[in-house]
Amino acid sequence: MSDPRARPDWEAVSLRLVFGLLAAVALIFLVAPTLVILITSFTDSESLRFPPTGFSLRWYEALLDADQMQRAAWNSLQIAVCTTLLCVLLGTPASIAMARSRHPWIRACDVLFMSPLLLPALAFGFAGLIFVNQMGFRPSVTFLVLGHTIVCVPFVLRTTIAAMTQLDPALLDASRSLGASEWTTFRRVTLPLIAKGIAAGAFLAFMASFDNVPVSLFLADERTEVLPIHLWQQIESNLDVRTAAASGVIVMLTLGLMIIAERTAGLTRQMR
Amino acid sequence: MSTASTTRLTLPLTALFAVCFVAPLCVLVALSLAAGPDGGVATIGHYAAFVGDRFNASILFDTLWLGVKATLVCLLFGFPVAWICARAHVRWQSVLIFLVVLPILTSVVVRTFSWIVILGRHGLLNQIVLGLGLADEPLRLLYSEAGVIIVLAQVQMPLMVLPILTVLSRIDSNLFDASQALGAGQWRTLWRVAVPLSMPGIIAGCILTYAASITAFVTQTLIGGARLIYMPLFIYQQAVGANNWPFAAAISVIFMVAVLVVVAVLNGFGRRFEKHV
Amino acid sequence: MNSRNAFSRRDFLMAGSALGLGALLPGLARAAGEELVAATFPGTWNEAHRNILKPAFMKGIDASVVQSIILGTDQISRLEAAKGGTPPFDVAIFDSPQVLDAVKQGLIMEYPVAKSPHYGELLPAFQDKWGPKISMQVIGIAYNPERVKTPPTRWEDLWDPRYKGRVGLTALNSQLGIAFLAELNRIKGGTDADFGPAFKALRELLPSVGAIAANLGAYATLWQQEQVDIAPYNFNFVQTLKGKGVPVEFVVPETGPVGWQTSMHVVAGSRVPELATRYIDTHLDAAVQAAMMKPPYDVIPTNGKVALQGAMTQTIARTQADLEKIRGLDWAALNPQRSALIDRFNREIRA
Repeated sequence: MSDPRARPDWEAVSLRLVFGLLAAVALIFLVAPTLVILITSFTDSESLRFPPTGFSLRWYEALLDADQMQRAAWNSLQIAVCTTLLCVLLGTPASIAMARSRHPWIRACDVLFMSPLLLPALAFGFAGLIFVNQMGFRPSVTFLVLGHTIVCVPFVLRTTIAAMTQLDPALLDASRSLGASEWTTFRRVTLPLIAKGIAAGAFLAFMASFDNVPVSLFLADERTEVLPIHLWQQIESNLDVRTAAASGVIVMLTLGLMIIAERTAGLTRQMR
Repeated sequence: MSTASTTRLTLPLTALFAVCFVAPLCVLVALSLAAGPDGGVATIGHYAAFVGDRFNASILFDTLWLGVKATLVCLLFGFPVAWICARAHVRWQSVLIFLVVLPILTSVVVRTFSWIVILGRHGLLNQIVLGLGLADEPLRLLYSEAGVIIVLAQVQMPLMVLPILTVLSRIDSNLFDASQALGAGQWRTLWRVAVPLSMPGIIAGCILTYAASITAFVTQTLIGGARLIYMPLFIYQQAVGANNWPFAAAISVIFMVAVLVVVAVLNGFGRRFEKHV
Repeated sequence: MNSRNAFSRRDFLMAGSALGLGALLPGLARAAGEELVAATFPGTWNEAHRNILKPAFMKGIDASVVQSIILGTDQISRLEAAKGGTPPFDVAIFDSPQVLDAVKQGLIMEYPVAKSPHYGELLPAFQDKWGPKISMQVIGIAYNPERVKTPPTRWEDLWDPRYKGRVGLTALNSQLGIAFLAELNRIKGGTDADFGPAFKALRELLPSVGAIAANLGAYATLWQQEQVDIAPYNFNFVQTLKGKGVPVEFVVPETGPVGWQTSMHVVAGSRVPELATRYIDTHLDAAVQAAMMKPPYDVIPTNGKVALQGAMTQTIARTQADLEKIRGLDWAALNPQRSALIDRFNREIRA
């Protein structure tokens, strides 16, 4: 464009137009469902139609005595917390090794640990149920947490490995040459530097566990209902507007968590 | 640190995977070879039953094909988003990524449910289409494959955009300037420079999107209805509805192997491409 | 984890495998007080059980109850999987066909009639040694009065070309689906041994069908979003939808009402059979049944002391004597072919 004798740069204009249009459509489609659910949750009517005829907070108030839903939410929250803890405890050392070494064993680990992202989760959930059954157990919270950990740990690995590769090895050498032990180096140097990566991964793992359906479908026992499955059943069979309100709460909490994660761990930077 | 001590750090997670991932999958395979629900002689009868029946085979094919379509739609829209994102000012970049990531972090049930409200016969999209006079009667989006693809594309978009963005933002922007200084137009630069260079990201995005699309049980069932049967629903029906565990195990194994084959092909393609460039 | 029994080897193993996670889950490790887990159906049933049955049951006892939404067929498969161990729930709720299966497999115990004071109040047709019938479900045609101006009168009206693209169906994993198919078969001259006529009629209906729900739950969504305008449906679910302001009406076709019974059972091997019996007995109480008969539940009562009221008297039965005349289906003949029928249906409808 700086070149005056150039033909009107229709290429640049058309590229911008096409890409701008595609991206705009994509962004509208990305955001629309979240907005729609938020707006619908403030409806004053019994039915889930969009746009709502009027607005009220009645369905949010109704959430206060939705004890089944609250119980499911509480269950899901605890399961997600345990899952996240396990993911971080087991995932962090593994990521450190995976970022440092090119050993064949480590490469094999890499394939193994990332495969839950690729394999159909529903098939894994079913395999888990068969396994638990053949060992003579019944589905339980314990197995559910372990199953969730398998499918959520890749998130922690990804972000932590990414953070590790940004780490300057000279720093570690310096620490060690100053006589610090491995453990001290890890605690004082490595950990603070990769903490943001771990935090971002933990956040993603938490959300993935909180939202998991395919594994919970098979491994949750009847006494421990989890939120996504409860919501699913409510949506399907009751068209309960409280479900929209619960969705509204989840959306807002997620947004809040995302903003916190962004501020503290630089979430969007860790995910690149 | 020695290799041995480094390797040792992976042991806890390896142990977990051995017990809770590898072992269950082995049991799954074993059960799929069992003659009866209580074990018995090994048989490939369940596999033969699946392959020999065109109805079953078509479900597998449709599922794999659905993934291809959803992935292509995702790529078509995702690449421009990543492209614009990579060029945006840092502040805007964060906002854009935030918007892109939003759907994957919103509960899948909530999201899908919202789509029912949008895609229904009197839903938002049809209101717009009818209001603009683009169609005379409401489009059938809910309970159609088109609907499933739209929703899958939206839901999995972050999986496509993020890897592409990672690669795009690492490309030296001087390359683009050079290409243009040599007289290549913007489109040409895009095709000849940007796309090939971002191929690793595109391949990674495609693999993730594909794997996620074909297993999206909730979306496929809620948006697709009973007339569109895909593998996850089929497995669930056989496992829970019909209580036919060995057969369900066999189709699970077939499904997993099929997915791995597709992923391996994509991966191989990506590798060949890297060598090429 | 189950804290009711002493440490068994299994619990020990579980604790070990959990890496001590159980200790981190205070809310999930159950209190020592007695706890009843009762299965319930989605939709109307879950609401009625949560809002009416649970408070009535909890009155005056120190126990907690968890109501878990599980379809009848799922309950059977889960109980089968748990056979020999502690069952995952204590009270089962079945439609007529599952009772046959459950009895055959030994999944439920005989109902302790002597411990159930309200059992004797049931109409004779609703008494059963395996567990009392708590209600009836009746199918007919539902339609959207805003878009279907002349109320349908016969099942054949679904084939009316005016409704092209607006007819709804549900997959055969629900009783509604099977019952509709069986009734269709009867009308078209088929027998329980030959479903050819029903499938032929179904094939002719397919071009008119706007949507087939994967399960009964998703069916309600179709009505709410006005994706369908006319379809076979359960009386109760129509009433629930009406209560939510969805424009929908219910008619019984001129060939008469068809239905089945819903019953509750004490699961074999339950650790709390007394509590389970008490829970079921509460459901038989005339006061509870009268409350459930009110809109939006409109649950058909089975207790002889409850006089019929409301929407059901206009369409299904004026008096309790009429209830006993509602045509049932021969589940003993239908059950063995169920999975074959489901399979055939799935193939026929595949888009």
